[in-house]
Amino acid sequence: MKQIKLKINGKQYDLLVNNHEMLSSVIREKAGLTGTKVGCEQGSCGACTVLVNREPVLSCITPALRFDNAEITTIEGVTKGGALHKLQEKFVEKGAIQCGFCTPGMVMTSLSLIPALNKKEGAESMIHQIKDGLSGNLCRCTGYKKIIEAVAEYALESSDLISKKDEKKSNPISGAVGVGRPYIEAEKKVKGTADYADDIQTKNALHCKFLRSIYPHAKIESIDTSEAMKLDGVHYIATGKELPVKFGVLPISQDETAIAIDKVRYIGEIVAAVAADNEEIAASACKLIKVSYKRIKEFLQIEDSLNDVGENEKIHEYGKFNNNIHKKAELRFGDQQQGLKDADVTTKMSFEFEGINHGFTEPHAATAFWDENGLTITTATQVPHYLHRALAKVMEVPLSRVRVIKPYVGGGFGGKSDPFPHEMIISHIARKTGRPVRVRLSREEVFLTNHGRHPSKMTVEMGISNDGFMQVLDADVAIDGGAYGSFGVVTSYYNGVLLQAPYKLDNFGFRTYRVYTNKPQCGAMRGHGAVNSRFAVESIIDDLAHKIKMDPCELRMKNFLDSNTLTVGHYRITSNGSRESLQKVMDQSEWKKRIGKLKTGSGLGVGCGFFISGSALPIHWNELPQSVVHLKLDFDGRVLITSGASDIGQGSDTMLAIIVSEVLGLGMDKLVVLGADTLLTPVDFGSYSSRVTFMAGNAAKDAAENLKKEIIASIVKQKDVAAEELNFSDSRVVSNDKKVDLSWMEVVDILTANRGAVSVSGKYISPKLGGDFKGAGAGLSPSYTFGACVAEVNVDTETGHVKVLNVWGAHDCGKAINPLAVEGQLEGSWHMGIGQAMSEQMKYYNGLLVNNNFLDYKIPTSLDTPDIHANIIETNDPEGPFGAKEAGEGAIHPVIPAIANAVFNAVGVRITKLPISAEDVLKQMKENKLFKEKSIA
Amino acid sequence: MIIEKLYLKAKTIEQAIYEANEHVDSFRYIAGGTDVLVNKFQGNEESSYLIDISGIEELKNTFLIGNSLAIGALVRLDDLKKNKHILQHFPVLLEAAHSVASPMIRKTATLGGNLLCENRCSFYNQSEWWREAVGYCLKCDGEICIATGGKKNCFSKFVSDTAVALISMNASIEVIENSSPSIVPLESIYTGDGVNPRKFNKTAIIKSIHIPINEGFKSVYKKLRQRESLEFSSLTTAVTLNKAGKIKIVLGGVDPKPVVVEGTTKDDKNELIKQAVKMARIVDNDVYSREYRKEMISVYLNRSFEELN
Repeated sequence: MKQIKLKINGKQYDLLVNNHEMLSSVIREKAGLTGTKVGCEQGSCGACTVLVNREPVLSCITPALRFDNAEITTIEGVTKGGALHKLQEKFVEKGAIQCGFCTPGMVMTSLSLIPALNKKEGAESMIHQIKDGLSGNLCRCTGYKKIIEAVAEYALESSDLISKKDEKKSNPISGAVGVGRPYIEAEKKVKGTADYADDIQTKNALHCKFLRSIYPHAKIESIDTSEAMKLDGVHYIATGKELPVKFGVLPISQDETAIAIDKVRYIGEIVAAVAADNEEIAASACKLIKVSYKRIKEFLQIEDSLNDVGENEKIHEYGKFNNNIHKKAELRFGDQQQGLKDADVTTKMSFEFEGINHGFTEPHAATAFWDENGLTITTATQVPHYLHRALAKVMEVPLSRVRVIKPYVGGGFGGKSDPFPHEMIISHIARKTGRPVRVRLSREEVFLTNHGRHPSKMTVEMGISNDGFMQVLDADVAIDGGAYGSFGVVTSYYNGVLLQAPYKLDNFGFRTYRVYTNKPQCGAMRGHGAVNSRFAVESIIDDLAHKIKMDPCELRMKNFLDSNTLTVGHYRITSNGSRESLQKVMDQSEWKKRIGKLKTGSGLGVGCGFFISGSALPIHWNELPQSVVHLKLDFDGRVLITSGASDIGQGSDTMLAIIVSEVLGLGMDKLVVLGADTLLTPVDFGSYSSRVTFMAGNAAKDAAENLKKEIIASIVKQKDVAAEELNFSDSRVVSNDKKVDLSWMEVVDILTANRGAVSVSGKYISPKLGGDFKGAGAGLSPSYTFGACVAEVNVDTETGHVKVLNVWGAHDCGKAINPLAVEGQLEGSWHMGIGQAMSEQMKYYNGLLVNNNFLDYKIPTSLDTPDIHANIIETNDPEGPFGAKEAGEGAIHPVIPAIANAVFNAVGVRITKLPISAEDVLKQMKENKLFKEKSIA
Repeated sequence: MIIEKLYLKAKTIEQAIYEANEHVDSFRYIAGGTDVLVNKFQGNEESSYLIDISGIEELKNTFLIGNSLAIGALVRLDDLKKNKHILQHFPVLLEAAHSVASPMIRKTATLGGNLLCENRCSFYNQSEWWREAVGYCLKCDGEICIATGGKKNCFSKFVSDTAVALISMNASIEVIENSSPSIVPLESIYTGDGVNPRKFNKTAIIKSIHIPINEGFKSVYKKLRQRESLEFSSLTTAVTLNKAGKIKIVLGGVDPKPVVVEGTTKDDKNELIKQAVKMARIVDNDVYSREYRKEMISVYLNRSFEELN
């Protein structure tokens, strides 16, 4: 230990630091400035950037002792006298902040970058310099677009070249829906004061670390923790037998224990957990635990797991057959055989997809403690409600003894929507030791925890008539689920059922197998279940269009389902913006003018998609509404909105406030949202299946209307006015004849007189939907979203390297409650899709994940992200709140095939494996006569 | 049992070397530390004594000496562009430096440090737990090379992008060892053995990098990588032509050491390229396959020659 002096944000600190301690740890743990985030611990994500003597430094790989006596500025020091720095204002104003976890690093990097910008060579050059300068800061939410805009605008306005705009941006008081605005918590995030799970300090807490399996499939013969227990500072070591109750997000897949019991099923599975005074001791203790394993045959590939295991042991005992198939889903409609016979042209192709990780920037973290109220856990989760249920089950306590609190969450994308072993384990150890227990996963552990997109293999066949009408679609899919169930049964269905739109298909069927393998489990990820099979279908449509010499856009236009119709599998389609979406991206990309006229190596491609706007059925069958929102209005005039919905950076808290604001004609400054605390907020099922805007939004609208009724009743009782005469706007209630003209505070006085605070409740219950066959419930949604993308690529014909130049995207979100947030969701979706198309994959070596860090798992940087042109299509859904539908997931579907189809257009190579590999493209180009002839149109 | 960890922020070269000699089995120099500290995080670097040389001012000077430019070893990659001589005579070095890692790392990482960047392999640059699970490779005290499926040689790849550019310009380095300076060609410090890729005395310090200034270098630099930032090299090429018609081809990322082929404008360039391809001992330790990287050597070098003309 050494004592150092640091002047952080102008304040002098004398700190005792470990000799090899990193600056990030000193800033966060010793100085308590948790605005500086740690996302990767290896200098690969930029979240930890701080300024040391005015120069940017990656604090997670910088020894603190290097900078004795230095002046350090962290995000907390950027704000001056409580006011935001102009750059921070730009971040807020532009919607550059979603989950906010990368934001502090982005701001610090930008601050150091801006003075060095050369603005003389024009805007394009400056934008490139900004992209270059930010290319070491990863963002998973925004696709960088709004961040770059914020930095560019600030840079221009802060220079002498451009006169400074001085217009004050004010929040419109009413008419809130449809007006783009920053998230209500954006300022807090840009200041670094928003607390994420690992930022919350807990007194007297123990720190938990895990020992993880080094074998993919092995019997645990013995575990000896005696040496580890002897280590000073070790308080508890938990092993599997202490936590025998199985859990899982789906009631039908309760197949996981918190810690492996008797055997391990993947490399990385938790075998023991140590709680100690600090992480270092806990980690040292893990190394002293001796585990004796007996290896048994592992199953790593889909093919192996489909086969009979013979004498070998299955991964899980249950199941009728002697193989590792977890789920088989199959549905058929119409007559596919006949459809194939009737079709003039058919295409059958096989595809392979690697697994994809969510790559949220905030690693999982949680703190648990017990008191007179039972268990309280604060954790980075998308679904407090399901975690609540799982914890009660595993801890074997009544539901009333569990409280789950969601703090600010640094992105989820489906990866924080299962109950996790680490949450069970710290809850257990907290109970055993009587002390709070904390845990935070390393980036490597986040990758091992996974629950990402399933690696998949599929063969899909489609047939069309010569005049371009689709006659049949058949999909045969196998997905690699890894070691446990997670959302897998749903994923199995979604791979098939979500192909029955956006095109009209009379003869449609699929069969999906989900297998267990000895790898980290897969689950739900943005666009759940349908991303890969959508890719296959859109690629085949492209091929069919090529075969019948029809423009692929025209072919799609001919086949889109109409609004207010049923699909062959009984999905009720209400609003449908497919045509508008496709037309928009065709116009914007000048498709008609350019397609077929590009030179070799340049290509345009198109893809379409659709997605559910919330699952109509709950995961746990019950008769609770899908979502409930409470409003409380008290003497002070504030409306407190409480909702179980989880804002994980997608902006749902803001969405709730906007809806209430709209209904009550009340300024946003009078609204406070309290979200996702299972003691204080009514149940919402969580942030998954793109359900929150539709369901929690409808519940908020219902609640606000109920409050409005209460207010009207109280006014009618006191004033001589008819209920229907009253109008709510601009924070006033005014009658048509203006005789009643009340300020909001006058309204509140009338409402609360002799009564006090008024609480009302609103709810959303999904209508009864769907057919009465087995599997009819899969993919049922009260509404569906639609979209299209055109991508432009350049393919280097000597290296096979593909560069995406442009993505034009359009998404029918019904109605954009907050257009700024919707754009952010779309840009983020397309960025994530570009990642899967171009560079992301989970690579395994004998069951061991090879690229478990942000250097080797390649999320596109700002330099790899093309120009993204986002278009919101509004179709005003009849059942969505103010016409709104989802915008967070569906948009990812069309972009990946659009890129692949553009590659085909450029060089005649059909992409059947993701990510697109330069190597494969080059190889196929050489073999392909299409390329030589450039007959692609 | 827990070894005490030490840290020294050295003020002079002499102090650093003295301390190093005093703790020869347990020390490690760090300059920017962006490579060493990540390796330390992963458990590949276990030195208990870190001697931080980043504060030694005499290692930061850049000046003309004779017919060479001497660049201080501690000049940060991002600062190279601030020197007008480098800007004027060695733009290829700037290009190479700019292709390293990410902007933030380039503001900490030094030129000298980049030359000594540890060789890399998919089976080596992993956490200790991971390497235990895979069964430790040759480079971390294991028995066999996993990337090659069991060979007894380590082919971890050489990844210093700036070295590739510098060697193509016949750069040499001034090395201080026990306070006696010597100047050696940069390429001479690389051994080609993936386990011990540098025959560079552990206690020695690079003082400066010397590049001949009046050679009229024309260079073309290329780097194969999946992303345009945040990447170690899968293949780096530099081809430099001097005014006397000498050509030097250097490859990085495809062998445990830089691959160097020399010739003149009179030589058949295809032969030179063939020679380079033949010399590169590529193994499957990268996101791109061995075959593809091999193929790309020819493509990149052909393009480089075209651009030189």
